[in-house]
Amino acid sequence: MTAQMEDQRAEGGRTGVYVYGILPGDIKVESGAEGVGDPPGEIRVVRHRDLAALVSDVDLDRPLGRAEDLFAHEELLDATAADVPVLPLRFGAVLTNDDAVADELLGAHYDEFTSALKQLEGHAEYVVQGRYVEDVILSEVLSEQPEAAQLNEAIRGMDPDASRDERMQLGEIINNAIEAKREADTQAFGDALSGQVTASVVRPPSHELGAVYVALLVETGKAEKLRQAVDRLAEQWQDRIELRFLGPLAAYDFVGAAAPADATAGD
Amino acid sequence: MSIAPQSGGSGVAQRPQASGLADVIDTILDKGLVLDAYVRVSLVGIELVTIDARVVIASVDTYLRFAEAVNRLDISQEKEGLPGLVGDMEEGGAKHKTKGAIEAAGDKLREFADAQGGDRETQRSRRRGD
Repeated sequence: MTAQMEDQRAEGGRTGVYVYGILPGDIKVESGAEGVGDPPGEIRVVRHRDLAALVSDVDLDRPLGRAEDLFAHEELLDATAADVPVLPLRFGAVLTNDDAVADELLGAHYDEFTSALKQLEGHAEYVVQGRYVEDVILSEVLSEQPEAAQLNEAIRGMDPDASRDERMQLGEIINNAIEAKREADTQAFGDALSGQVTASVVRPPSHELGAVYVALLVETGKAEKLRQAVDRLAEQWQDRIELRFLGPLAAYDFVGAAAPADATAGD
Repeated sequence: MSIAPQSGGSGVAQRPQASGLADVIDTILDKGLVLDAYVRVSLVGIELVTIDARVVIASVDTYLRFAEAVNRLDISQEKEGLPGLVGDMEEGGAKHKTKGAIEAAGDKLREFADAQGGDRETQRSRRRGD
């Protein structure tokens, strides 16, 4: 591979080694798996002792970030995580060459990566995202907040330009009420699933109608039970929250600077 | 997909819900190990052109949009609450919308009725018979 890169350098193209994730060394990669870039680079493995990194060569003169690039990164890692523990890297990680991956990344942080992988062994991440059904949640707010209902009435008779302050005020009340509901529902969600998960991280809402957005680290053997519990919640919340269940994913939310140490703290 | 499992398969029987682009953006641009924290010498900067699709929470736009949505909502709820009235209101609404055309047609009809020596009764019975 280094030879291939040198060839490319000789042709004038600048290439780097894009790194997807770090995993135990006893894995094989099917030939032909494609990564980021256009044309996509072929996925291969760089090893150091019993650690491995999934990488592909990437053209440094072309910006990365097309939808295809993002999907390629995530799909590779998620598919991997379904079978083996993997430490996923954030999108856009490029090193100069294979030696740098082996020595500076895997070698220099061998103990840390090995222990993090050990903690992730037998786990996968699942993400549950819920969004409030707008009409339903707004009705809830109107019936619970007399001030909002009054403002709403007042605005109806007003010229849109003249009512801007009132509309801002009304919107703020609604937004605050939804924030409070989000917090309460996220708490209820956590309570309902606490027995099924090893650790959990609440993600910041990605939408103004976001209800719950939680990443869960789950033992592979408990995944089905978790799914059933989420199904029950979905049924219970049917009219007001639409729930989505994503996974298994690589443990993106549990590999931050201090996260590996926390990853099993919840059990 | 591309990795051969080292041991048995996973315990998850059902297929996961597909991730959309927004899910992927939320995940791999925000989470995961940051290489900079581990490697300095051989780190290569590469230009990333990623779109941040996330909605900014609690912006002015959000407030105004909520106000608008809740205002619309109230009207539709009144309709649902009073089904008898809704039919009338909708009919009224429809009449308003096409007022110009109906008036024009009405003028023609009146001319016709006048020519026939008829009155509004005639018009009404004709309509019922339709």
